[in-house]
Amino acid sequence: MRLSLYVEGDGWVHRLDPLTKVIIAVSAIALTFILTNLVANGAILFVSLALLTAAGALRRALPVFAGALLLALTFFIIQGLVYPGNRTVAVAAGPVALYREGLLVGLHLALRLYNILSATLIIVLVTHPTHLVEALVRRGLSPRFGYVLMAVLQIIPTMADQTKAIMDAQRSRGMETEGKLWTRIKAFIPLMGPLVTSSLISTEERALALEVRGFGDNARPTFLREEHIPGYGIVLRWIALAALVSGIVMRWGFGWL
Amino acid sequence: MAVIEVSELRYRYPNTEKLALDHISFSVEKGELVGIVGSNLSGKSTLCAAMVGLVPHFYKGAFGGSVTVSGMNVREHSVGEVSRKVGLVFQNPFTQITGAKLTVYEEVAFGLEHAGVPREEMPRRIDRALSTLGLADLAERSPFAVSGGQMQRLAIASVLAMEPEILVLDEPTSQLDPAGTSEVFRAILTLRSEGITVLIAEHKVERLAEVADRMLAIEKGRVVAFDAPARLFNRADLAEHGIAIPSVVSVCRSLGVSKEDGSLPLSVSDAAKLLESAHA
Repeated sequence: MRLSLYVEGDGWVHRLDPLTKVIIAVSAIALTFILTNLVANGAILFVSLALLTAAGALRRALPVFAGALLLALTFFIIQGLVYPGNRTVAVAAGPVALYREGLLVGLHLALRLYNILSATLIIVLVTHPTHLVEALVRRGLSPRFGYVLMAVLQIIPTMADQTKAIMDAQRSRGMETEGKLWTRIKAFIPLMGPLVTSSLISTEERALALEVRGFGDNARPTFLREEHIPGYGIVLRWIALAALVSGIVMRWGFGWL
Repeated sequence: MAVIEVSELRYRYPNTEKLALDHISFSVEKGELVGIVGSNLSGKSTLCAAMVGLVPHFYKGAFGGSVTVSGMNVREHSVGEVSRKVGLVFQNPFTQITGAKLTVYEEVAFGLEHAGVPREEMPRRIDRALSTLGLADLAERSPFAVSGGQMQRLAIASVLAMEPEILVLDEPTSQLDPAGTSEVFRAILTLRSEGITVLIAEHKVERLAEVADRMLAIEKGRVVAFDAPARLFNRADLAEHGIAIPSVVSVCRSLGVSKEDGSLPLSVSDAAKLLESAHA
């Protein structure tokens, strides 16, 4: 059971270091909140989607986008109906009318939603969580906290395996686990005790194993792998930051976009 | 030169009344392989934990006496510091995988990274640990995608990379099948041949008796005997103290067959030779 949503790959986007991807994503999200111009928002979305496609992760992103479609539609409908600045009717059906101004606001909100989603997906789908956490630990994140973040993703699947083993053991002693909904709900209760106990025991064992690897001393660790930031990665960081700064300037400096 | 020196060690876990370790004293010389035997709850695991400082630093509780390993008094150093000289391997191979690394190679590096070992040093240590444990061709695999025996060897390799002087193993083969058990014992012998002092707590007394220089028998937190396996298993009172005896020894005792010096054979092959000559 893979808990991580990471999509394997070796393209240029994958080879970007995690922090560059975070900078790009954060800039994109910040810009989509700063800029109100619809074309600008569309452009941000285009860039995010292009990155996802270059990484070969677009297919995995589609279910997420499809899921958000309902929310986007509600933006259109609600804003179209009740936005205070509504003047011109776009679509009317009897007493109910959707106004043009509202629909445009709805479009803006929908674009913002999709921008946030695509930027986040750049991090989630194209960066392996352990690489991201290691990049943060290199820059000062507490190694203990970093470990907790990394281990969660690898260890939750083992809890799922333990659950299966406990359920099998209980089934083999006559516990009914299939059938009516009520039967299945009842089967849950005796599962809780052993699962929590065995998880606590495993946690203690793991803590002991970490202690004897010198984990407790919270000194700054050294790293096996050298951090490798490709040249174009630095360029992309600067582009992202420049875009962010110009966005701020154009919006609040000049009142454009 | 004693590399482990335990003197009047007393320990009680928090919220308990009985001593888990009750005035234990012994010393181990450099390069020895010492087996620790005793029934369940006799204190074997507690003793192993005390070798690294987990007792008392991790478990808290009431601690008395002294444990000195590699010249360090365990009470005065953190577990991390002691771990650089004394490695500890636990029973469950699965929970010793940190889960923070994606390959076997990086998993072995985990301890080195946290010990602040310089990067240039790491590949040499990792390669040596992996080849000593026969894991070199698994280097690129996920640590979870290996068999039980391989996983336990990975745990040993991760500890070995820290280049400890002493290795303590707490029932390392209890969750392994016979093949895995053999792998681990083979690895332990390799380590011993490199001059590492080894302490193993085990239930598999037969296998332990074959390799140990001396065996420490414990019952209820006290030392019952500390002697070479041949002399230890000759004692008739071991069963009362809950110490398991290799089947070979009890069979030969019942058959009244013993070696010239009066001791009982420890291995099946020795017993076979004796029985053949007895009936020749």
